Amino acid sequence: MASSSYALRTIPASSIRPANTSSRSIFTAPPTKSSLLPFTSSSNTSITRSLKLNSTLPHSFYFTSVPKKSFSCKSQAESSEAAERVQELSVYEINERDRGSPIYLRLSQKTVNSLGDLVPFTNKLYTGDLQKRIGITAGICILIQNKAEKGGDRYEAIYSFYFGDYGHIAVQGPYLTYEDTYLAVTGGSGIFEGVSGQVKLHQIVYPFKILYTFYLKGIKDLPKELIVETVEPNPSVQASDAAKNLEPHATIPSFTD
Amino acid sequence: MASSSTTSSLKTLSSFSLKASNFHPTATILPFTTSYSSSSLSKTLKLNITTSPHYSSVPKRSFTLRSQAQSSSDSVKVQELSVYEINERDRGSPAYLRLSQKSVNSLGDLVPFSNKLYTGCLQKRVGITAGICVLIQNKSEKKGDRYEAIYSFYFGDYGHISVQGSYLTYEDTYLAVTGGSGIFEGAYGQVKLHQIIFPFKLFYTFYLKGIKDLPQELLSKPVDPSPSVEPTPDAKACHPHAVISGFTD
Repeated sequence: MASSSYALRTIPASSIRPANTSSRSIFTAPPTKSSLLPFTSSSNTSITRSLKLNSTLPHSFYFTSVPKKSFSCKSQAESSEAAERVQELSVYEINERDRGSPIYLRLSQKTVNSLGDLVPFTNKLYTGDLQKRIGITAGICILIQNKAEKGGDRYEAIYSFYFGDYGHIAVQGPYLTYEDTYLAVTGGSGIFEGVSGQVKLHQIVYPFKILYTFYLKGIKDLPKELIVETVEPNPSVQASDAAKNLEPHATIPSFTD
Repeated sequence: MASSSTTSSLKTLSSFSLKASNFHPTATILPFTTSYSSSSLSKTLKLNITTSPHYSSVPKRSFTLRSQAQSSSDSVKVQELSVYEINERDRGSPAYLRLSQKSVNSLGDLVPFSNKLYTGCLQKRVGITAGICVLIQNKSEKKGDRYEAIYSFYFGDYGHISVQGSYLTYEDTYLAVTGGSGIFEGAYGQVKLHQIIFPFKLFYTFYLKGIKDLPQELLSKPVDPSPSVEPTPDAKACHPHAVISGFTD
C-alpha cells in the first residue's frame, strides 16, 4: 500500500496460531500482540454486548424513555458475566494491480516518506480458502512516520471491507509495513450491523497480499459461505482461477467490484 | 492540531494560550464520574451529535430494563481514563496540507498529525496519537476552525483506541470512541477533548465501556490541566521506569 519505490519484500509468515482459551482471560500483564487470543467458544451473550451502541449513532439515541425488550431480560438471567461470543472470519486482500491502487500522494513534498503523505487504496477481497471473490477493500492510509530502523513505515489506516450483498465492515488502526498489527473494528452494515471487535492484519507479501483474521462480536452467525478453511499464508498464495475470472460459482452474491 | 505556520494562526494561538478557563464548556455537556449507578445509564447514552446517522435499525436497549431489575453484575460500567497529548514539535507534526489553495483555512485542507501521549499524571510516556483532521469550516467569528478528526491513541503493548468526531479549535468537544484493540478491544463510549494550549497541549478524558478493568498504571490521578503542565523529564526522555511497556513511538 506504500510507495512503488519499495521493492517487493517477502515478509516471513508469522505463525502465530490462536489457541483456545478461556473466554475470560484477563490481561494480568501488558499483552503483546502475540498473546491476543481469539475466543472461539460460544457462550451466552451478555446484555452489555447486545446493547453495544456504535458511537457514531445519530442523536435519536439521546432519549429519555426506553422501550423494554424482554429477550434480553431472559438472557440476562442466564449469563453471569460478560462473556461474549466471538466469531472468526478470515479473508485475503490481494492487489492484482488492476485497480490503479495504491495511489501514493506525496503531499509532504519530501523525498522520504513523511507525515503528510496520503495513500488511498482499493484491492480485491477473497474468502479464506481463496475460492470465491467477495469484494474489495477501500480506504486510505495516512503516513505517520517513516521507521528507517525497521525498514518500513507506520500508517494510520481507515478503510472498509466490502462483502457484496452481505454488507461491509469498517476498520481503523495501525498499519505497520514491517510487522503484523491489530486494527479496531469500528462498525458495519448488513449482516455486520452492530459489529465490534478487532482484526489481525498479517502481511504476506508487502504490499500485495494480506491475510486478515476478524474477531467479531455482536452479530448473528456468519453465513457458511464465508466460514471456510483458510489457506495457510505463504508468498505464493493466489485466488483460484475461477475466482479471478469471476465465474458465477466462484463469487458471493453481488460481490463488490 | 491545526495550522501553526500562518500569521493568522499565531494570532489565534496568542488569544487562546492563557484562556484555559474559557475552555470549560458552558453548554450542557457534563462529564459523569459515577461508574456503576443505574441512574447514569441515561447519561451514558448521551452521544455527541456531530456525526451523520448511519443506522436504520435500532439496537436493543434492554440495559434500562436491567437497571430496573436491579441487576448489578451486568451494569454498563464506565471507566474513566485520562491522558495528555503534547506536541513537542519533534515529529514533523502537524502537516497542514492547504489543498483548498485558498488563503484562509477552507474545506479541502487536510491536517495529518501525530503527537506524544502521556498518562494523566504526566509521569509516564504512553505512546502517540496518529490520524488526520479534515478542515470543515473556518469560524472567523469564533477565531478558530471546525475540523472533523479521525485518529487513534496508541498505548504501546496495551493496544489502541480509535476515535472520530469534531475538533473545534476554540472550545472543548466530545468525540466518539469507535473501537480499539488489545485491552481496548470492543471499546465504545466517548472522549472529552479539552484544549489547554492550541494546538500543543490537550487533555483527554475517556469514558469507556465494553472493556475489562483498565490497568492501574493508566489510572493514576491526573494532573489538573493548566498551560504550564509538562511531562516529567524522565517521561520525556523515555527512561525505563517512566514509560509503559512497549510504548508507541
